[in-house]
Amino acid sequence: MKKNLSSKKAHKAQLILFLCLLFLVCFFVIPARAQSSDVLQAFEQVAALIRDDRLVEADKELTEVLRLQPDLPVALNLMGSLRAKQGRLVEAESLFLRAVQGDKNFTGARMNLVYLYLLKHAPDKAIPQLTEVLTLEPENLDAKVLLGDAYLAKNDLQKAEENYLAALDNKLNNAGALFGLAQISRMKGEQREVAIYLNRVGTLIGDSTSTDFLYKFALEAMQVGLFDEAKSALERAVALKPKDPSYLLALGIAWLRKTDLFEAEKLFRRVLVMEPNNAQAQLHLGYVLLNQKKYAEARTWLEKSARTSAPIPEVFYYLGLVAQEQNNDAGAIVLFEKAVRQLPLYAHARIALGSSYMKLKNYVRARQELETAVKLDPNEPTAHYNLALLYARIKEPERAKEELRIIDQLKAKGATNNGVVVLPPKSNP
Amino acid sequence: MAWSSYPLNPIHNQSVFIRATNCLWLLTLLLAFPPQKPTFEEVSPAESKITWTHNNAQSPDRQLPETVGAGCAFLDYDNDGWMDIYLVNSGPSDFFTPSTPLKNALYRNNHDGTFTDVTDKAGVAGGKFGMGVAAADYDGDGNIDLYVTNYGSNILYRNNGNGTFTDVTDKAGVTAPGWSTCATWFDYDNDAKLDLFVSSFVYYDKSQNPLCTDPTLKQRYYCVPRLFKPQPSRLFHNNGDGTFQDVSRESGIAGSPGKSFGAVATDVNNDGLMDLFVANDTMPNFLFLNKGDGKFEEIGLAAGVAYGEAGRPRSGMGVDAADFDGDGWQDLFVANIDQEFFSLYHNDKELIFTDQPGEIAPATQLLSGWGLKFFDYDNDGDPDLFLVNGHPDDMIESRVARVRHKEPLLLFENTGRNFKDVSASSGPVFTKMFSGRGMALGDFDNDGDADVLTSNNGEPPLLLRNQGGNRNNWIGLQLIATKSNPAAVGATITWQAGTLKRTRLKTGGGSYLSSHDPREILGVGSATKIDYVEIRWPSGKIDKLTNPPLNTYVKVVEGTGLVKK
Repeated sequence: MKKNLSSKKAHKAQLILFLCLLFLVCFFVIPARAQSSDVLQAFEQVAALIRDDRLVEADKELTEVLRLQPDLPVALNLMGSLRAKQGRLVEAESLFLRAVQGDKNFTGARMNLVYLYLLKHAPDKAIPQLTEVLTLEPENLDAKVLLGDAYLAKNDLQKAEENYLAALDNKLNNAGALFGLAQISRMKGEQREVAIYLNRVGTLIGDSTSTDFLYKFALEAMQVGLFDEAKSALERAVALKPKDPSYLLALGIAWLRKTDLFEAEKLFRRVLVMEPNNAQAQLHLGYVLLNQKKYAEARTWLEKSARTSAPIPEVFYYLGLVAQEQNNDAGAIVLFEKAVRQLPLYAHARIALGSSYMKLKNYVRARQELETAVKLDPNEPTAHYNLALLYARIKEPERAKEELRIIDQLKAKGATNNGVVVLPPKSNP
Repeated sequence: MAWSSYPLNPIHNQSVFIRATNCLWLLTLLLAFPPQKPTFEEVSPAESKITWTHNNAQSPDRQLPETVGAGCAFLDYDNDGWMDIYLVNSGPSDFFTPSTPLKNALYRNNHDGTFTDVTDKAGVAGGKFGMGVAAADYDGDGNIDLYVTNYGSNILYRNNGNGTFTDVTDKAGVTAPGWSTCATWFDYDNDAKLDLFVSSFVYYDKSQNPLCTDPTLKQRYYCVPRLFKPQPSRLFHNNGDGTFQDVSRESGIAGSPGKSFGAVATDVNNDGLMDLFVANDTMPNFLFLNKGDGKFEEIGLAAGVAYGEAGRPRSGMGVDAADFDGDGWQDLFVANIDQEFFSLYHNDKELIFTDQPGEIAPATQLLSGWGLKFFDYDNDGDPDLFLVNGHPDDMIESRVARVRHKEPLLLFENTGRNFKDVSASSGPVFTKMFSGRGMALGDFDNDGDADVLTSNNGEPPLLLRNQGGNRNNWIGLQLIATKSNPAAVGATITWQAGTLKRTRLKTGGGSYLSSHDPREILGVGSATKIDYVEIRWPSGKIDKLTNPPLNTYVKVVEGTGLVKK
C-alpha cells in the first residue's frame, strides 16, 4: 500500500522523544538517589553534559566513575542514557538492566527500560518493569499511562483502558491517559468518543512543552477532523521549536486539511528553505500549487519530489493531472498508468485516466477505467460525474442522468466533491 | 573552410562595432521606453457629470435581490453617433419601499466627455426593483429600444425616435413576471427579427427569505441561492408586429429550470444558428444548442461546460463568448464565486469544451466575477478580457479569510493561446476595490478604442476611458442590416491587414445585466492599410470592403457595403 515516505524521519522523531523522556528521568531521579552532595553535584554535571549534547565529555566522566565503581546504578543509568542518545540501544538496554540489578528499587532506570522497550515495540518486556515501578510507587501516574500504552501496543484494549482510567482517577486532567483513551476509541471505531477525548486533551496541552506529545496529538486530531485543535497544538510546537521543519510541515498539512491552501503554501515553502530536499514538503507544495492551478510550478516541485525519493503513486497522479491541465492527455495517461501500476486500487488515478481517455475520444477505455473506479470507490462523486459526462457524450442520456442522480444522493449523504485532487497520503511528516 | 581563416578586416570590424553599438542603443531605448500599452483612466463624476448612484436597498433582512443588481448599458438612443448611458436602479418591491423615489438613469452624451441626465424627459425611469438592461432595435425602426429586467416584472421601452420612450411591455407581451436577470436580444430562427431571451433567477418573495446568520456576528447575511428553487428562463419570439410570443415551452428553454444570470448568444458549432450559453448560480450551466427547428437542446453536461471539476455545480454569474485563439470556433467564459475559479472553456469542436483558464485561474481564485467581456482593448486584433468583480456577501470578510467584499477589476491580454494578467500595468483604477456587478463596453468618446462602464452595487458607476488603445490602427463598423436582424447578431466579420487576418462573430448579450455599443472596432495593430473587411450577414449575404479607410467609423449597409464615413 502507500509507502511511508518519512519512516526515517518518524524513527528520528521517536528516538528524540525517547531521549527527551529518558533525560528527564535521569535528571530528576539522580538527585534523589545520590548519597552525598559531591556525588550529587558530579552526576548533575554529567547530566548537564548529556543534556547539552556534550557526549564525549560525559562519556569520559562516566567511564572514569564506572572504572572505579563498575556497578554503581546511578552511573550505569546515566551511561545507558548516553548510549541511547548515541543510538546504541543494545548497550543502553544492558546498562539499564545492570542498574536495575544493582538497585531493584531504582524506578528511574526501570522507566528508562520501559521507554526503550516501547520504542523497540517490545511491550511484553515493558509491562513487568512497569508493574514493578507501580509496586514501588503506586501513585506514579506516568507509569500507569505507560502501562496503558504498553497494553495498547499489545492490542489489549481492555487492560490499556483500565490503566488509563486508573491514571485519570476520575479526574479528566491527564493528557497522556486521555490521549490513550482516544486511541482506544479510534480502534473501536467510536469516532464521537475520539473527538470528545481529543477535545479534552486539546484543552490540557495549551502550555505543554512536549513538542512530541503536541505533535502526536495533532496527528491523531487530524485523523478525526479536529483541524483547529491540531493546528493549535502544532503552532505551539512550532513556537517551541521554530527551527524544526517536522512541525512546520505538519502544521502545513493541518492548514491543508483545513483547506487553506495559502497558509499551507507558506509553511511548505518555509520547510523547503530549511530543507530544500524535503520530499514531503516538495510533494505537498506541488499539491497545493496544483490546486491553485499554478501548474508550471506545481510540476517543478512534484518532479523534484520524485527525484528526491522513490515516487509514490500520488506523485505520478499529480503529475498526470498537471499534464492533463496542460492539454497533454497522452502524457497524462502514461503517468496515471504508472500510478495505477503501483497501486491498482487507486480509484482517483483511474478516474483521471478515464477522463484523459475521454478527452482523446477513446470512449471504450474511458468507460473501462471509470467503471472500475466506481467499483473501487462507489462513494466518490468524481467517478460518477465523469461517467455521466461519458454517457452524455456517447448518447446514453438516461445512464448519464442516473449517474447525476447518484451524485445528488452522495451529496445528500454528506459526500464532498470539492475537487478531483485527493490529498497526499496521511503520512507521518 | 574554417571561420578562423578569415581575419577580420579592421574597417569592416569597425563597422560591425558601430552597428553593434547602434543596436545596443536601440535595445537601450526599447528597454527604457517600451511600447506604451493602453491604460484605463477613471472619468470622475465631476468630469462626466454622471452623479447618479446605485441604491442597493440593503436591509437588515438581507433580501437576496439587494445584492444582485444592477446593470448598465451603452446605447445611442438619439442616433447622433455618440454612445449614451443607461443605468439601472433598485425600486419599490414587496420587501422594499424607498424613502425617496429611486430612478434608473439615462444620460445623453454631450460629445465633449460630459453627459446630461435626460431620464425624465425620455420617460425611462423604471420604477421597479431593477436588475439589468438590454438595448436593441427590436422593431427595426432604426431606433434603439430598451428592455429592463426587474425583480417583479420587466419593462420594454419602445424608442419613439424623438428622445422619448413608451412603455409597451403589456402590448408586446414581454412582462415576464418573477425575478428576471439578464436579457439577450438575438435572432434564433434567422427570420431577421430580434427575439428575446430572459434569464430567470430563483423563485423569491419576501416571505421566502430564510434566516441565514452566524451566531458570532449576530446579524443576517445573504443566503446562498442553493436554498431557493430554480425557475425556467424565457424565450420570446418576435412576431414582427410589435408583439412577442412566449415560446419558452415549445423551444425547450422552459424544460431546464435554472438560477440563471449571464447569457450570451453565440454559435458554438458554426452551423449559422445562434445558440445560448447561460450561467447558473449553484446549478449546472446551460448550453442551449439551437436545433434549427425552433427548438433548443440543453447539452451543457455533454459539452463539459455545466459543472466544475468533480461534478460540482458552481456559482456562475457573468458569461461571454469569443474565438480567443483564432481557431474559428467560439470559446466560452464564465465567472464564478470565490474558490471556484473562473472558467475559460476552449471549444474543441464537436460540441466539446475543455476548461483551460491558464493564468486567469490563480488570479481569480479569491474573486467573485460578474460583468465581463472579451474585447480588443489594444486594437492588436485579438480579443482580450476585462473582468468586474465583487463578493455578493457584504459580511464575507467576517467569515472567510482573505476573501473581500469589494474586489479589484482585472484585465487580461490575449497571448494567442491564452491570457496574461496586465491589470497592474493598466492604470491605478486596477488597484481600487469595487462592489462590481454590470459591465458595458462602448467607445463613448469615439476615439476608436473601447471604453468601459461598470455598475457597482450600492455605489456610483465607474466610467473608464481607454487611453491609448487607438495607438494601434483600427476601423469601426456600424452594421446596418436590411435582410438580417437589426443588431446583426450572428454576423461574421473577417478582416485582413497584411499578415494579420482575423475573424469575429457578432455575439448577442454577454457580460452581466448589461448591454454594449453595437459597433465593432476592428484592430489591425501597426498595419497602415486594411486589405479588406468582409461581412457575412446572418441572412447569408456577404459584403466585402476593399481597402477601407483606417482609424474611422464607417457605416456598412447589408447588400450595399460601405455607404459613408
